[in-house]
Amino acid sequence: MNNLCADIGYRSLIKHGEQLCGDRVMICPQGEDSTVIVLADGLGSGVKANILSTLTSKMISTMVAEEISIDECVKTIAATLPVCKEREVAYSTFTIIRLVNNEEAEIIQYDNPFVILLRDGKCYEFPKSEMIIEGKKIYTSRVKLHEKDIFIMMSDGVIHAGVGMKLNFGWERKDIIPFMETFYEVGFTAKTLTTILLDECNRLYDKRPGDDTTVCTIRIRKREPMNLLIGPPSNEYDCDKMMSLFFAKEGKHIVCGGTTSTIASNFLGKPLRPVLEFSDPDVPPIAELEGVDLVTEGVITINKVLTYAKDYLETNETYAQWGYKKDGASRICRMLFEEATDINFFVGRAVNPAHQNPNLPINFNIKMRLVDELAECLEKMGKRIKVSYF
Amino acid sequence: MKVTVCIGSSCHLKGSRQVVEDFKRMVEEHHLEDKIELGGTFCLSNCQKGVCVSIDGEVYSVTPETTKQFFEEHFLN
Repeated sequence: MNNLCADIGYRSLIKHGEQLCGDRVMICPQGEDSTVIVLADGLGSGVKANILSTLTSKMISTMVAEEISIDECVKTIAATLPVCKEREVAYSTFTIIRLVNNEEAEIIQYDNPFVILLRDGKCYEFPKSEMIIEGKKIYTSRVKLHEKDIFIMMSDGVIHAGVGMKLNFGWERKDIIPFMETFYEVGFTAKTLTTILLDECNRLYDKRPGDDTTVCTIRIRKREPMNLLIGPPSNEYDCDKMMSLFFAKEGKHIVCGGTTSTIASNFLGKPLRPVLEFSDPDVPPIAELEGVDLVTEGVITINKVLTYAKDYLETNETYAQWGYKKDGASRICRMLFEEATDINFFVGRAVNPAHQNPNLPINFNIKMRLVDELAECLEKMGKRIKVSYF
Repeated sequence: MKVTVCIGSSCHLKGSRQVVEDFKRMVEEHHLEDKIELGGTFCLSNCQKGVCVSIDGEVYSVTPETTKQFFEEHFLN
């Protein structure tokens, strides 16, 4: 066992004029530390391609997860996929990465662009062995995982970006590599790296992709715990208990809420200093408190974080905002989305009498719902979440 | 003189950012930097009367509309 985990993020651009994507990414966790990731690209586009790639990815991920040999998997797929009437073939290309105990990656590739592995800031061309199954050329590899490895899986829409428009031969793999190498050290999440690569494809396609274009990025990283405290406990005698449990936790500490941070400040015996800077007019300022990594206001800030989190799970268009801005919400986003892998929420259920004013758009139920929704979003990002109520 | 403006959730929604910025501007305009020390604070537990502003410990209620008048009354005489 090691302390590594995988941060996985994917997204697709749909071929211009189509409603459905013909590429499909499927992630199939096996226990705590193993995962099967499949990227399948169905022949053609639209409904037909969508069905082919969905069937292929679902079948492969299930079979590989059951440790059925790749030979068997490919034969089964070839035998079961519906045959396209026009072309008389049943066809879906695929890339499979199976992470075993977060120690090793087994990579199986059929006709998609070869996986790019970035290691120590450079592309590492890992060895592949070729085998022929049912007349199909399949490449398999085994790679030991290193911390900070980045695997990039792609459908051919990526390397075809810009064909005959901005680039003669499309965006070749050898040119994509240096483009992605420049982001290696920044610490972007897998989802953000995916977005960066897809945005560039979309630009090369003049925003009218000529093919379904999919990227799935896997980032191997150390587990990083993070703790977030919001709201005073419902029983004020529990303050000390809540604070001592919170501050005993390993990892960074975020405190949200005016009253809550005052309690934390009393507990730590250090002064709380609000910083009178409004970097984002919608988000109240942050404060400084020795012993706490970040102090912010509560409900309004968390509400903004939730908005960013929801977008992150969709198109991730706002990463350009939360990725660098200095307001409390953006800072929380960077700490939770980028830095953390394991997040402990300490939620106090006290009702703030000041917030029960019907003229204010905040109340107790909203606060509780915000935390629940945020925890749910973070779980979808692949983080381990624990919520404790006081 | 220490002037603190509440920047808690409730006062934020009632326009404390505007109040802080107006104060900052007026302090500069009237060259009162030496006399007035502006600061922020989290909840002054008087949310119904937000935006809460405290001058040397005494809490007043200000709104973005009354900021100018409040400033003139308290600091320009």
